[in-house]
Amino acid sequence: MKALALRVVIAAGLVIGGASHAYLYLHGYGQVPTIGPAFLIQASVSFAAALLILAGGPDWLIWGAGALALGSLGAFAMSRTIGLAGFVERGWQPAPHALVSVVAEAVTALACGAWVLGAARARGRSARRR
Amino acid sequence: MTEDRDPSIMTRRQLIRHSAWFGAAVGLAVVGGEVISHIAGTGTGTAAETRPTLRFAQVSDSHIGFTGPANPDVTASFGHAIDQLNGLGYTPDFVIHTGDLTHLATPEQFDQVKQQLNGLHTPHVFTVPGEHDSVDDAGQKYRKVFGAGTRGAGWYSFDVAGVHVIALVNTLNLTKLGHLGQDQLDFVKKDVTSLSNDTPIIVFSHIPLFAMYPDWGWGTDDSMQALSYLRRFSSVTCLNGHVHQVFSKTEGNVTFFSATTTAYPLPHPGDGPAPKPLTLPAGKLHDALGVREVSYTKGQQALALKESTLS
Amino acid sequence: MSRRNQRPVLALVMAAQAAALALAACTTANPPQAQPNPTFSTDVSGTPGMSPMPGMSRTSGMPMTPPSQGGDTANAQEPMGPNAVNIAGFAFFPATLTVKAGTTVTWTNKDEDPHTVVADGGAFRSQALGSGGTYSFTFPAAGTFDYVCSIHPFMHGNVVVTS
Repeated sequence: MKALALRVVIAAGLVIGGASHAYLYLHGYGQVPTIGPAFLIQASVSFAAALLILAGGPDWLIWGAGALALGSLGAFAMSRTIGLAGFVERGWQPAPHALVSVVAEAVTALACGAWVLGAARARGRSARRR
Repeated sequence: MTEDRDPSIMTRRQLIRHSAWFGAAVGLAVVGGEVISHIAGTGTGTAAETRPTLRFAQVSDSHIGFTGPANPDVTASFGHAIDQLNGLGYTPDFVIHTGDLTHLATPEQFDQVKQQLNGLHTPHVFTVPGEHDSVDDAGQKYRKVFGAGTRGAGWYSFDVAGVHVIALVNTLNLTKLGHLGQDQLDFVKKDVTSLSNDTPIIVFSHIPLFAMYPDWGWGTDDSMQALSYLRRFSSVTCLNGHVHQVFSKTEGNVTFFSATTTAYPLPHPGDGPAPKPLTLPAGKLHDALGVREVSYTKGQQALALKESTLS
Repeated sequence: MSRRNQRPVLALVMAAQAAALALAACTTANPPQAQPNPTFSTDVSGTPGMSPMPGMSRTSGMPMTPPSQGGDTANAQEPMGPNAVNIAGFAFFPATLTVKAGTTVTWTNKDEDPHTVVADGGAFRSQALGSGGTYSFTFPAAGTFDYVCSIHPFMHGNVVVTS
């Protein structure tokens, strides 16, 4: 059913994004000031949220997942342009992790958006039924 | 989930339920973080935690000879920093001083700073001159005291524990920013030709090699060319002094780290009309001064840095 | 998923947390290693840097006679002579000075920090000026002479000499 499918998609997006950040953390990015710890937090929170969303957790987890995905995308955009805590990179380095992560986060954000819309519509429907 | 009471009020059961999920989320995130950093600490594959391959310390901008309200006794704070480095709990493989050892480049000031550096418990001490060390004589007095074995205005390189270290002088012939000059650029180009791309490179200089704040001269006008010779290396770390504050910036494969001083703080970029000594409220000076420890472990691309304020 | 099914899931999650925390808490001992030694290229005489002797105690600092640093921060709007440049607040006032050939210009450092006056092209060069220090140069011929402080090279000024 649709709700479960969305949960699976959101969890998968979170896991892929988190795994990319975890891999990069273990391979050099962990030492970059501010960015290193941020990657660690991103990865661990992503995995935690993915597991709990799959286990059927409450709606605010999905909101959180959406916020995390949008935040990660925003941070990526900053790192390519004005810089994030003094960290700047060009293009899609490190390939392919950067692109994989951006796609996963976009999918997560869209799926969370779809869930929120669906939940709002369901609430409206149940209110009308009463 | 349908409720026949007002859905905006949470029941006690719901609160417990939501708290349980929230606790699980926080707990899982913390555990996940621990697991990932544990893997990082054991170096992705090796079972044991290894001692770093190379450990050294950076100290900078001692400005021996300065007096003023910003720090009435820079000699004492430099001595304090040296005591702190001697009390690290391990012997650093070397210590680097990234310049402005003296404030006015007088023979007495050079003598004083050399005596103090001799008190460091480390097998080697390396230095580069700051613009204050080269006042009046383009660095001649500096080179007389610290220039043995160096080339040109005082640059050199060495290899230690598989790491290649390059010491650059960018404090002579200044027109607005730091300047390396063609001879030194040629030296850098030639110096790295035989190195493999995975050799970690450390560059130290007095003035930042990146554009930290050009309006105050915090940059080097020809550093881009020097860094272009280092673009093929997977790990390049540039350590500098001059700005009297900790700051870092990563650009591609190069990470720049500015160190703080042991003498007196300077304002943050743009915080005021000029980079003049900042007098802090009583008791706050030591929080703005400090030293840095750097360690490199073979197999990990990036260096690990740790700054400590003067205790 | 009904509420009845969620409780065992949460219990599983808590158990997994505890197990992983126990794993993360384990550390292993560090094996000792020899100290690395730098190698320098052989085409220079002597080795760069210095080798302090370990175990030597730090000698206390010699009392230094600092150069006169007692000056107050300058008031750049102070009335000054027509051929004078004040160095204050890390800047030259006036930034551009126009004089006739044969005039002597005097720079006075009103800052706490040392400054110098160094012409682009080397026409003139001062020693380091402490607080209150002065430097004078007589301009023999017409021309525009740009100069900087060699310690703080973002400080610019010029002297325009008319014949």
